[in-house]
Parts: sequence; structure tokens; C-alpha cells
Amino acid sequence: MGRWVLLFILGVIAVLMVSPLILTVFTSLKPTTELVNPPWYPPISPTFEHYARVWTDGGFSRYFLNTLIISVVDAIVMIFIASLAAYAMVFMEFRGKMILQVLFLIGLMIPVTAIVLPLFQIVRSFGLLNTHLGVIFADLALAVSIFVFMFSSFFMGVPKALHEAARIDGATEFQIYRRVVMPIATPAVVTTALLEFLWSWNDLLLRLLLMTQDEMRTLSVGLLNFQGTMTRDVTGLSSGTVIMAIPVVLLFLFFQRHFVRGMTAGAVK
Amino acid sequence: MAGVELKNLSKAYGDVEVLHDINLSIADGEFVVFVGPSGCGKSTLLRMIAGLEKVTGGDLMIGDKRANDLSPRQRDIAMVFQSYALYPQMTVAENMGFSLSLEKRSKNEITKKVQEAADALKLGPFLERKPGQLSGGQRQRVAIGRAIVRNPQVFLLDEPLSNLDAALRSETRVEISELHQRMETTMVYVTHDQVEAMTMADRIVVLNGGYIEQVGSPMDLYNNPATEFVAGFIGSPKMNFVKGRYADAVGAATLGVRPEHFEIGQGDNTWEGKVTLVERLGHDTILYIRVPDAGVVTVSLDGQHNQQVGDTVHLRPKPEFIHKFNEQGRPIVA
Repeated sequence: MGRWVLLFILGVIAVLMVSPLILTVFTSLKPTTELVNPPWYPPISPTFEHYARVWTDGGFSRYFLNTLIISVVDAIVMIFIASLAAYAMVFMEFRGKMILQVLFLIGLMIPVTAIVLPLFQIVRSFGLLNTHLGVIFADLALAVSIFVFMFSSFFMGVPKALHEAARIDGATEFQIYRRVVMPIATPAVVTTALLEFLWSWNDLLLRLLLMTQDEMRTLSVGLLNFQGTMTRDVTGLSSGTVIMAIPVVLLFLFFQRHFVRGMTAGAVK
Repeated sequence: MAGVELKNLSKAYGDVEVLHDINLSIADGEFVVFVGPSGCGKSTLLRMIAGLEKVTGGDLMIGDKRANDLSPRQRDIAMVFQSYALYPQMTVAENMGFSLSLEKRSKNEITKKVQEAADALKLGPFLERKPGQLSGGQRQRVAIGRAIVRNPQVFLLDEPLSNLDAALRSETRVEISELHQRMETTMVYVTHDQVEAMTMADRIVVLNGGYIEQVGSPMDLYNNPATEFVAGFIGSPKMNFVKGRYADAVGAATLGVRPEHFEIGQGDNTWEGKVTLVERLGHDTILYIRVPDAGVVTVSLDGQHNQQVGDTVHLRPKPEFIHKFNEQGRPIVA
């Protein structure tokens, strides 16, 4: 009996969670003539015309490419800088280590919205407005703290004797990082790559701020094109949203197991 | 190969000094065992030789080179860890050949050396396995193999047998001793188990509270302990220490008698007591005997004795084997 009640509650929650996505897919596939039907009506004669329109006329092919470049570079570079910093924090002794740790902690505490203006000025002073590099630098700087902590907690679970054995074997710190520690840090690497990719893919604020030219826009900013002050292109917005969501959903499904393992890494030995 | 020399070596963490004024000369090819209770500094001393702990005072010489400031890789040493510390993502062969690959040796040379070490340690069939697929004993042999392939000047072993079960431990103990005889490399071995120390060492270094208590051959330490601590630490079951009238009778503050140095029989100058516990080990029988004015005395007899709990026995320490200590725990020389 208790099990059925639990299943029912879980079912209701699942429907609530999934329904916006399903309604969006329904709307994106409906011909304009069917838009008068309530949103929960499935499309009677589904069409991909809105997708084609959004992809070509709406500029989504360009936005998709921009988003992909920024997100992929973000994810890859983040793995390197966060893991290298965490490696130094966990395995090396150096002057100012404490101060650095406190700085990373402060980095975790400051909300992005509080520093958008100075960030904008910094990026502009480097001449990086409307460039992929500008957004990438800002993304990395803002998120590096959390990933340093994630890698640190993972590395702390690596037996110290492994690091010492490698030193005795004659490895340099970088060789230990590359050949001993990183190969066993796959869960942390996958989690970092996925999370950073997702955050970068979905972020609106920084892209809105740092990418003002149309050809440099990303998907999240591109979606705003379908929403005017008075009107709203519902089918365009839905199709664009689905285009934006597909890679994320696929990635998560593909790496789900690694991802969950990485999130809990360090929780128990 | 090279010897190791420690000159006035000390180690401090902040203001707390944990090793004091260590002087020791380890000859080329010698097998030296550091032994002592937990926290005595034996592992720290080994790690200082390895370069994993900084030397904060004195000089450390490996061969004729001052090694205080050399990194572990510059010292040409190999170390076997208590926890094995094998690289989990690498196969046995890769683990053993890792140091050689870092030195950019040719693939053929690495394969040859790994194969030789694997043959010597009977690891041939496991070369393509990962450490997770091996038993504890096999992992320990891989850890030893990883050290062997480098042909280091000095071999350091930090309690390498403590994670093994009793049978495997004595087997591996023999293997390590044979290995030392074959390789003739300087070996420094840390253990808290005095049986390992006695059976393997050319010389034993007994440490206590960050000081060296005594350095000597196993039998030297057994026969002529320099302090009461060494007398109690070396030998199993441990030496009985008796104060009071029995000690006074021989002119000592403390009288030390090893369990195997008692005779049972009637006569003058015997200690009368009641058996409180009997441990029959087959070859030996250990009796725990409560002796008035002496406390519980441990006596080791050959296995054929038939005393029972509650029996009254008369003990006689063999006079030629008794140890007399003064108030400071130093031996009284006749």
C-alpha cells in the first residue's frame, strides 16, 4: 500500500517536471492553424517548419555554433585550470596556500550579478567585447572556484602514498598530475566538463552583456528575439528552446552514471 | 649501491622536535631494521632518508653525496609502502616499469627488466592485471618488484608486511631476506614487530621517543640490552621485570628475566607462585604465574610441560641470564 502511495506521489512529481518540456515540444511541432487549441493538445499534423525557420531565418545556426564553441572551450579549459589548481592545493606545500584557499572561497560567495559592471569594464578594457574569448575568460573566472573545490575534494580521496610513490619513482609534479592522479579522476573530470558545459550553454546574463553584435550571439540570447514587448512568436520560441535543450539532454543521458558518481565523490571513502 | 650516514640528524615540526640527534652509519649492502613502538619516529626517519620529509637539522649522506636538499628522484632510492601504493589504473607491468618509463628507457629494456623482476617474484602470470585484481600478497610483491626494477642504491621498506595475514607475512619475510642476499643492496626496513626485526636484520636500530636507544646485531640486543626499554622490546614473549625483594637480593633496582630463562624445580632461591593461565603453542608452553612480591611472571617452557591453572610451581631464574638494571634503567655491569 505504502509503495503505491509513494509511486503515485513520484508519478505526480514526474509529470509536473516533464510537462513543460512536453508542452514545448507539442507547440514547436504544431502548424500555426493549430495554435488555437489548448497547449496540452498534441499536434494533429506535426510539422518541422518552425525548426527550419528558426535555424535559418532566426539565425540559430550561427548562434548554435557560437554557443558550442564557447561551451566546449569553457569545459575543456576549466578541466585543466581547476584540476591543476586543486592538485597544487592538495598535493603541494607552498607559501600563501592558505590565502589562495580563502580567495577561492570568496570566489564561491560572490554572486555574478554583483560584479557584472566591473566585469564588463574589464572585458571591454581588454578589447574582448563581442569575442568568444571575452565570454570564455569571464565564464572561467566566475566558475573556477567551485570546480577547484570539486577537484580538491576528489583529490583528497586519492591516497597520499600514491603521490609519494610517484615522487620516489622519479616523477615530476606535472608527471604525477598527468600520469598518476588525472587518470583516476575521471568522475571529477566528467562532472566538471558537464556542469561547466551546461552552465555555459544556458547562461544568459554574461552573453547578453558581452555579446552585443548579432553574429556573436548565443542560443540563450537568440531566444529573446522571439519575444517582443507586445507580441510573442510562440512556435519560434518553442522550437528554439527545443534546439537549445537537445544537446544538453543527450549529454546528460550519455554521461549520467559518471556525473552522479562525480557529484558524490568525496562524500564517503 | 651505497651506504647511508646520518649525522646529528633531527626533525622538528614547528617547535616540536620529534627526532633528536640521530647518529647512524649504515654500511653498503647492509640490512638495517628500525624498530620501536608507535610514534617513536622510525617511519619519519625512513621518510627523511627517502626525501619525503624535510631534514631540519644535521646531515644526511647517501653514498658520498649530502642528500639533505635532494629531491627523492635525485637520491636514487626505492621505497615499498605499507599500503603498497600501486597505481590503480596501470597494469602490474606498467606499475613496475613506471620509473623506467619516466627515465625514457627504451620499451625493450623496460619489458626485459620488468620480466626479470616478475620472474624473481613469481609475478609472471599477473603482468597484465590491474592491482585491484590481485590479492594482498601479490600486491605487496608488485610493490617490491616496482622497487627492484630500478636497481636503486638504497632500498627503503616501510612496514611492508603489516597488511598481510600471519602465514603470508612469514613467507614474504623469507622472500625479502632472500632478495637482500641476492641483490646485496643496502636495505632499511621499518617495523614495529620485533620478530621481523630479529629474523631479518644484520643490525637493529631501536628507537624510542625520537632517540636511538641502541644499535646492534639481533643477538647483541637480545643478550646485552643497553636499556630496560630495549630489554623489554626485544624478545617474545617480553622480558619480565621484577622490583622489590627479588631485585634487592641481586643488588638491582629492577631485575630482568626472559620467560625462556626460568627453570622449574624445588630448592633454595626459588620463586613460589600459582599458575593463572596456560598457553599451549605446541612447541612451547607459556605459563603466567602469579608470584607474591613479583606480580605476574611469564615463563616459556618446552611444549611437553603439563602444568595446569591453579598449580603451585617453583621458579628459578638461570643466574647466567639475568639482567640487572639501576634506577635509570641502565644495566648494572658486574
